[in-house]
Amino acid sequence: MLTKQRRDLLVGLAFLAPNILGFLTFTLGPLVFSLFLAFTNWDLRLHNMFKDEALEIVFFENFTRLFDDPDFWKYLGNTLFLMLAIPFSIAGSLFAAMLLSKDMRGNDWVWKRLIAAAGLIFGVGCLVLVGADASAIVVLVIGLAGLILVGGTLGGTTVYRTLFFMPHFTSGVATFILWKKLYNPSTGPISNSLRPLLESVEGTVAGLPVAGVQGAAWFCLLLLTGLFALGLVKLKAAWQDGELGWLAFLLSVGFLGLPPLAALAWSFDGLSGGLVAGTGLAVLGVVVGSMVVRGRDYPCRSDEGLGSGLMLGGLLMVAQFTCLGLGNVLFGLPGLAAAGLEPPEWLTQYNWAKPSIMFMGLWAAIGSNNMLLYLAGLTGIPGELYEAADIDGASPFQRFWYVTWPQLAPVTFFIVIMSVIGGLQGGFEMARVMTEGGPAGSTTTLSYFVYNEGFSTGRLGYAAGISWAMFALVFAVTLFNWKFGNRQVND
Amino acid sequence: MKRLFLVCFLLLTLAGIATWLTEPDMGSEVPVIYWATDPNPARIEQVAQFHQWLVQNGHTTPEGKPVVELRLETVSADRKGVIQGVSGVAADIMDCSIPWYQSIGLLADVTDEAKRYGFGIDQTYSALEPLLTVEGRQYGFPCNVNVMGLWVNVETFDRLGLEPPPAQWDFETFEEIGKEFVRRANKPGERQTVFFLNNIQHAYMIRALHRSLGASEFNETMTKSDLDHPGYAGALAKIHQWTYVDHIAASAAEESAFAAESGYSGAGLALFNRGNYGMYVIGRWCLIRLRQFDEPPRVSVSHFPYGEFPNAIIGTRAAAVYAGSKHVEKAKLFLAYLASQAYNDQIVTSADALPPNPAYTQTETYLRPAQYPNEWGAHQVPATGAETIAIASSASPFVPAATVDRYKKMALDKVMANIVTPQEAAAEAAQRIDAEIELTLKDSPSLRRKYGELIALQEKIDQYRQEGRKVPLEWIKNPFHRRYYIHQGWAVEETADVD
Repeated sequence: MLTKQRRDLLVGLAFLAPNILGFLTFTLGPLVFSLFLAFTNWDLRLHNMFKDEALEIVFFENFTRLFDDPDFWKYLGNTLFLMLAIPFSIAGSLFAAMLLSKDMRGNDWVWKRLIAAAGLIFGVGCLVLVGADASAIVVLVIGLAGLILVGGTLGGTTVYRTLFFMPHFTSGVATFILWKKLYNPSTGPISNSLRPLLESVEGTVAGLPVAGVQGAAWFCLLLLTGLFALGLVKLKAAWQDGELGWLAFLLSVGFLGLPPLAALAWSFDGLSGGLVAGTGLAVLGVVVGSMVVRGRDYPCRSDEGLGSGLMLGGLLMVAQFTCLGLGNVLFGLPGLAAAGLEPPEWLTQYNWAKPSIMFMGLWAAIGSNNMLLYLAGLTGIPGELYEAADIDGASPFQRFWYVTWPQLAPVTFFIVIMSVIGGLQGGFEMARVMTEGGPAGSTTTLSYFVYNEGFSTGRLGYAAGISWAMFALVFAVTLFNWKFGNRQVND
Repeated sequence: MKRLFLVCFLLLTLAGIATWLTEPDMGSEVPVIYWATDPNPARIEQVAQFHQWLVQNGHTTPEGKPVVELRLETVSADRKGVIQGVSGVAADIMDCSIPWYQSIGLLADVTDEAKRYGFGIDQTYSALEPLLTVEGRQYGFPCNVNVMGLWVNVETFDRLGLEPPPAQWDFETFEEIGKEFVRRANKPGERQTVFFLNNIQHAYMIRALHRSLGASEFNETMTKSDLDHPGYAGALAKIHQWTYVDHIAASAAEESAFAAESGYSGAGLALFNRGNYGMYVIGRWCLIRLRQFDEPPRVSVSHFPYGEFPNAIIGTRAAAVYAGSKHVEKAKLFLAYLASQAYNDQIVTSADALPPNPAYTQTETYLRPAQYPNEWGAHQVPATGAETIAIASSASPFVPAATVDRYKKMALDKVMANIVTPQEAAAEAAQRIDAEIELTLKDSPSLRRKYGELIALQEKIDQYRQEGRKVPLEWIKNPFHRRYYIHQGWAVEETADVD
């Protein structure tokens, strides 16, 4: 006779059995099997039910081969490049969530109609600007924008929240095809909107002295150097205050120093690159010298503040690279303008395909689960904190910086981790539908590489090896985030 | 809760049983076989015709019904077929690349049945042999045959006061006519909207171009890549020149700017009909779409231009029988049907490429279809080309064709983006393919043995060539080199003639 406790246990297990069996059969089983595959030379062509070639255990050969494979590094680079959009997508999601958390249920009838009218006037204005012969998709997009404005002003936050979340629940392939149309270099609305803008730039540049435009390029390089110096000063201060260990300082400077070094090769001429690198080196020498002479006020662990340091270094690196790129464009602009400026061939040009895909991913990510998480996070912030801030006379920015942002730190931490994991694993669908990984592999990501090796070449063992290497990478990055990225969360 | 769970469980079990009982196979009195093919509406008619053919040829049950029921799986086999095949669950008949599928072991040998039922290689184009057989054994039969070429809108040429291009032309003639065409068709100083041809980057066209300069993907014995041959770099350079210097061909961006893609070339053919493209890189199946236009244009066909060796590429949508099928013998009957007059006539009238049997390209129905006089100038060239200058693709047992295509595409992309020179791109492609061959050999003792034999043969070929002696044709495995050697006078038919 079964005791009641044992009977309850059996009933509980019976309830759980379908899920557990499903998990074991369709998730854990294949996972363990793929780990085994990663250590074999399994090739679909050679090892299958119709062939008698012996499967060999090759131990770590698939992994060592990976490090010698130029494709792996190239596609890892592509994946990391696409991941540069993550900070922007997080910022976009937060911004969208803050906008959508505003209460719009008031009775300000006149205000709503004014906004709606402004939206419609804007839409019609765009139509006139683009011209009556514009393609149907331009008319469609502008009409839709007008409709959204009207719908939103009449229907309130719910309409906007639904619209913002739409990219997330719309089928991926459908949105990719839509974006392919948007990127159409001849009839797409993006190029069509850029064309008049580029024409006006052409006219403006033609009216300016060449030296003036190229002087702006030099200003960009000056700004780059300034940002480098600013970063160094900030890092030095953190080091002296005991918020940054020496290892963290060095690694952060490594990020920060990449653009001045890159300027040597990528700047518009040898002199400018040399000047930037030389000045950077001099500033570094001065800062490090003063650190050595003055020493630090508070000692700390060598890896203390690594996450914050890398974040600062990384952000300033992106800003410096932007300056470098802008400088190069400005220097060549008079020549380009004289030849006639044309919008790029977004998806078919080697240098534009990756940013185009990245931009589309950014659009999809802003209105995604991240936005919902931020919305939920915003509703959880106690109102008393804002009241206290108001009493203290805080400005809107201070309210955000000292109340909202710290209160959202756990949500942000979760989003960063999930986005990094998703970024390292993602990119397959977009590249498959929009560019087939091209041109010249410029949009092939690691997940696409796994697909090619597994199903096009048939090397399942190697493909499994790449997948597990990706897992190791994701795991390491997540561990890093966990260790160094959640200081504010725990505070 | 327990009762609710039990009820749910029982309901799901019952639903499972109901699904199983109502599966399509359960409703048939005869074995059901599946054909994985493309979603062409003509397949429905072909399936019905196959059932009739079975009855007419006595393949019936005692009750007089067809011995087998054919059903469609309208998703092409391709990579999905490989995964299904190695898992033991592929369709019984698959439209597939026979060399690739056979190298995996997925296909049933049909050589004996081909003799018995009359669907041997002698019933189709001899140039297709490398695509249907492996080491002398037959593994399939063509559903249709294609000789891709440049389909010419004669009316566009008429409007511009130009003669339509000849059936065969060298690079110089092609360039000369092309430049004149775009000069007359486009207004100076305005964005180019009319091109001589649409897709110069089509894999078949590139292959024909580099072959015309003496370069193949592989050497004579398929043991090494031959893409570092100057002919391949020359072809890449020509494509770049025609696209970005001469502007006679639309670039990838220009083409995508023009049209959205959909089945059977979608909007591209509408642009061809409208005159935006003077020529269109496609096979005979373009007529399926052109016939749907209110006023289809007058068309003719030219082969791809050549450097020194005129050639065309022959391909096929071949059907093969899955080795793991429960009904292998019955599935083989379908291949016999593909060789029948009824099927060939159906392909001829539906314009779904060339019929499997070349004899049906010599009929009035094929050459001058009464309903479509605008096509009369187009049918002869591909049919004749298939029997004279067309050569099949070169497929090495040591590297998948898809991998070769990927590296070729990479090389082309890099040249078109001005990242590397054509010579560097060609050298890199060859080196990458050779590295893939090495990897395959490392994992397969049986292929290593075969490779060793072929390498020995290659050394003999190289030695003969160095000594200026003619090479026995049977030593050459690459279909391109077999024809190229004959063209250059470097080969003899029989081994006995040597020495």
